[in-house]
Amino acid sequence: MAELVGAFAACHGPVIARDWQVLPENERDRYITAFERTGARLKACRPDIIVALSPDHWVNFFIDNMPAFCIGVGDEHDGPPEPFMADIFPHKTLKGDPGFAGHLLQTAMDSEFEPAFSHWLTLDHGICVPLWRLAVDVATPIVPILVNEVEGPMPVIRRCFSWGRLLRKAIGSYQPAARIAILATGGLSHSIGEATMGWIDEDFDRACIRHFEQSGEADIVRFLDEQLPKTGNGAHEVRNWVIAHGAAQSRGFELVDYFPSPATFVGAGFASWRV
Amino acid sequence: MTDYQLSKLIFDLQRQPQLAAEYSADMEAVMERYAIAPKVSAALLADDVATLAPLVNAYLLRFYFQIRKMPEQEFIARLHAMKQPEGADG
Repeated sequence: MAELVGAFAACHGPVIARDWQVLPENERDRYITAFERTGARLKACRPDIIVALSPDHWVNFFIDNMPAFCIGVGDEHDGPPEPFMADIFPHKTLKGDPGFAGHLLQTAMDSEFEPAFSHWLTLDHGICVPLWRLAVDVATPIVPILVNEVEGPMPVIRRCFSWGRLLRKAIGSYQPAARIAILATGGLSHSIGEATMGWIDEDFDRACIRHFEQSGEADIVRFLDEQLPKTGNGAHEVRNWVIAHGAAQSRGFELVDYFPSPATFVGAGFASWRV
Repeated sequence: MTDYQLSKLIFDLQRQPQLAAEYSADMEAVMERYAIAPKVSAALLADDVATLAPLVNAYLLRFYFQIRKMPEQEFIARLHAMKQPEGADG
């Protein structure tokens, strides 16, 4: 039987990649350490498969067809299309895992979830910046779940918790003896392309972290339902953390690091869950 | 209010380098192919961030002005200028 061997969160801001060589030294050093510490934990789990949660940054989907959740079920996925990723993460394709992805999709359908699915996705910086900086072996198959966190209406937080439980159920019922890790990318607060662009809402971020550390599901739902509409648009990516939290069955959350990074416009959060 | 045609233009520009090159060379010709409304065309030609912002997703807006090579600090300054002054809504 498969098992969930770890769940992790890592920031994915594109400016981390675009401006890596010119980031202020203090911010780059902090990123180096946070990614290294998170990456060490992830690699220590020896995952056979990584389920990667991310929004699609207008690479696969448009408003003519915008799925709330989409599972990448293909043998392969295209690597990142952003020009700034070409030199630092020069992978034209990344390996998928159609066996587990298909099982996850079927489990979702049997459980009355109806995600979209794709046999060929492009994985943008949302997934590939963490893979790059966490130094994940790119031979590890990736099962992407793309969550609409860029264009409203978006999945409600309670549903994201349900997705986390669904993911755990699918892992627990997968017959092959695979070691599966979850990588929740993105967040915490940031504001992109809107009147508050550049704003890092540290109050939101620190309250959010406290809730993951101390609160039950109902309190996290209440907090995020109230606060997400009041902060920058990038914070919607916290849904990926919620899915990871649900998959970890709220057994414990440990912050690896948090710091506001003005140069990359994000409140950079890194975490792991006891699973 | 989302402007579908404008959104489609920007979505395609950020995925198709050839189209982006064509757009740089002749914005009006590409806008015509996408049936961009006259008021929106004028805003695109003027790099009018404030007029375009309510019409398109914020991430697509950022992509667009990266394609237009507007310096990021200028883009941010124009976005910040859109903030309503304190008490202005009376």
